[in-house]
Amino acid sequence: MDFSLSSERQILFDTLTKYFRNEYSLERRNEAASSDLGFSRDSWKSIASLGVFDALLKPELGGFGGDPIDIITVFEAIGSGLVIEPVLNSALMSSMVLSHGSEQQKAVSQAVLAGEARPIFAHFEDLEQYEIHSVETQSTESGNAFIVNGTKSAVRHLVGACHLIFSARTSKTSNEKDGISLFMIPLETSGLTFETFESIDGGIVSDVTFSNVRINKDSLIGKKDQAISIISEAIETGTLALCAEALGIMERIKDITLNYLKTRKQFGVPIGKFQTLQHRMTQLFIEIEQTRSAIMNASFWFNDSVETRKKYLSAAKYTVGRVGALVAEESIQMHGGMGMTWEYDLGHFAKRLIMINHEFGDEDHHLNYYAKFSA
Amino acid sequence: MDLSFSNEQENFRKDVRNFLRDTLKPNISSKMKLGILLSKDEIESWHNTLNEKGWLAGSWPKKYGGQGWGVIESFIFEEECSAVGAPRILPFAFNMLAPVLMAFGSDKQRGYWLPRMLNGDDWWCQGYSEPGSGSDLASLKTSASREGNHYIVNGQKTWTTLGQHANMIFCLVKTSTKGKPQEGISFLLIDMNSDGIEVRPLRTIDGEHEINEVFFTNVKVPIENLVGEENKGWTYAKYLLAHERTGIANVGLSKRRIGELKQLASETKKDGKPLIQDPIFAARVAKTEIDLANLEITNLRILSRAQAGGSPGPESSILKILGSEIGQEIDSLTRRALGRRATIHVPNILDYGYNGPNISPINAATAAGVYFNNRKTSIYGGSNEIQKNIISKAVLEL
Ligand SMILES: Cc1cc2nc3c(=O)[nH]c(=O)nc-3n(C[C@H](O)[C@H](O)[C@H](O)COP(=O)(O)OP(=O)(O)OC[C@H]3O[C@@H](n4cnc5c(N)ncnc54)[C@H](O)[C@@H]3O)c2cc1C
Repeated sequence: MDFSLSSERQILFDTLTKYFRNEYSLERRNEAASSDLGFSRDSWKSIASLGVFDALLKPELGGFGGDPIDIITVFEAIGSGLVIEPVLNSALMSSMVLSHGSEQQKAVSQAVLAGEARPIFAHFEDLEQYEIHSVETQSTESGNAFIVNGTKSAVRHLVGACHLIFSARTSKTSNEKDGISLFMIPLETSGLTFETFESIDGGIVSDVTFSNVRINKDSLIGKKDQAISIISEAIETGTLALCAEALGIMERIKDITLNYLKTRKQFGVPIGKFQTLQHRMTQLFIEIEQTRSAIMNASFWFNDSVETRKKYLSAAKYTVGRVGALVAEESIQMHGGMGMTWEYDLGHFAKRLIMINHEFGDEDHHLNYYAKFSA
Repeated sequence: MDLSFSNEQENFRKDVRNFLRDTLKPNISSKMKLGILLSKDEIESWHNTLNEKGWLAGSWPKKYGGQGWGVIESFIFEEECSAVGAPRILPFAFNMLAPVLMAFGSDKQRGYWLPRMLNGDDWWCQGYSEPGSGSDLASLKTSASREGNHYIVNGQKTWTTLGQHANMIFCLVKTSTKGKPQEGISFLLIDMNSDGIEVRPLRTIDGEHEINEVFFTNVKVPIENLVGEENKGWTYAKYLLAHERTGIANVGLSKRRIGELKQLASETKKDGKPLIQDPIFAARVAKTEIDLANLEITNLRILSRAQAGGSPGPESSILKILGSEIGQEIDSLTRRALGRRATIHVPNILDYGYNGPNISPINAATAAGVYFNNRKTSIYGGSNEIQKNIISKAVLEL
């Protein structure tokens, strides 16, 4: 057994964390988060030029990594810097989906690697909490085209994307696994309308509505009606990545809080001298160690059977959800008033950590899932 | 034992209900239900409405313009107001400063300041905490030194809630460095428009402006603004803290919010069924509801005991702890019920002139912001850790 990272990956992790801590400052991150785009194009380019995308993508997608361990290495670093650029969706998940497409569609993912294109993948509709196959957007064949109607909800990073990759029903009803297809269209396709909202953890989310949108037949990605496994794979990979991002955030929160406990004085002593806070900080430390183990486990089993992968992934995402809330809430509490202020780093990390629980299934969702598997 | 309310109390409840039905504006109650911070005008206008009815300071004795309500009446009033989303009466003047003036102020101070509170002439804020003195309040440094007929005040207060609207601040200041820290503290009323005062906004993590820093540089305060005796301020502050507890369990508010949560969770779907039927989520809601039902009785038990024996004892720390924890759990369940849409943050959704998109369900606009903002409830007014220290020392004698 060997729990250490290979030296290449260690170097990658160190380079990235150094870059995110030193050059990609929280101040600039927050500035970019409140801009019209919701992130920074310059940072996006810098991240591309650091080789992040190559590390995330498998050789057949044009990268030189893409192993589960690459993904968790990169995303832990992303979490530690509270990176707001759309690495997960536009680089990783979009490329995975497009690898099933035509040469033309693959060309878009090549352009992502070069930092020249930025597609966005929109799947969820919120009819159902977090259920992957709950798709109601309809795409109906009509001669040489498809006509699309429906809404994709709360899509992060949609603003400023070049292409929209989306799922829609081409047959069956809304809650079945078969009958879902994937498409890619330019974002400026007529008939699309967007509603944008500020997001609590920074950046912008959009609802995108299709009203009788006419799209070419060649917008279809891969085989008609057969997209669920492609979607699942992208979301499972995304889930692993999010878990690692959460871990990176937890480690930062741990550092920030530990430092505060050692330096903030009340009653003439550092507040870390109060035993009740010592025990609670210790509990956070223990739970974060458990979270790291859960993520290692999930990455180890990731390339096993689909069932095994999903089981350990649910175990990890459940742990991240439960521990994430604990870490966010306890760290704020142990800071007193300081934990409540915008001007202090902690709150921004805590907000993102909590909102990760709201992507790709929360604590309860994955607990349920795991219970079904282990029954 | 009888846990029911008397006929008289039930009639009072009906009066309150009718009054609220006739006077509470729908836009205000919608804002309250979404957890949106009200504007200065909106708060003042509600205070005025209550004052016209004589209910702005119902628990004050009649001779000061109150109704002399007991704890049960106050509880009923709070419960009915919360049930329909009426604004909270700001505590700083009515629950904090007024009881101190009644107990320790001079006749002149009472005669001057209490009517002004009722008429809405002053907006009071609380100047206790300092950057270096939060839980350890007695270590505060802001100093007041006597020069002729004035005190000269220097220092800084922080976390001052709604200080941006205030024209008056009641402060704890150091008037002596002799003896124990507690022995050199005085209770001073300071005009915020005095020269040398600067108020700077602090943003909370949800982006709101509700707290401030207040800086004092050679601020002249007339000596008649000292409350009680010099160097006795700590006693008054402790008295005030005990009074602050009365509405702190937030039972009425949490009851309404659990109802809203259940409604929300019956509209969201999980596995083809309403979320409220998901066993895990249903259990979370049920546990919270049970805690709240228990707290309702605990609250009344502690308050009635206080009514019989004067000021509420250290047991009232129980109310602060449970009230904040249950409220925070409801915040957490509400954002969970919203799933992916919890990320949306549009706190200006009900503003006049808002022309952004509709949000469905509308709770999504504010739920996450409210969840983060309400982390404050276990921090301010003496953190829950400090409350537990009080119980373990003063009640359990550990
Ligand atoms: C939103 C908000 C509004 C506020 N409004 C006002 C206001 O209007 N006026 C005002 O004067 N103040 C106000 N406060 C200040 C509030 O009362 C203080 O934040 C609170 O007393 C805690 O002090 P602190 O922030 O300095 O934290 P600290 O005292 O530094 O505490 C940090 C942590 O250490 C813990 N701790 C400290 N001492 C002990 C101990 N002995 N044993 C165990 N644990 C301990 C605390 O519980 C906390 O978890 C407000 C605060 C907030 C967040």
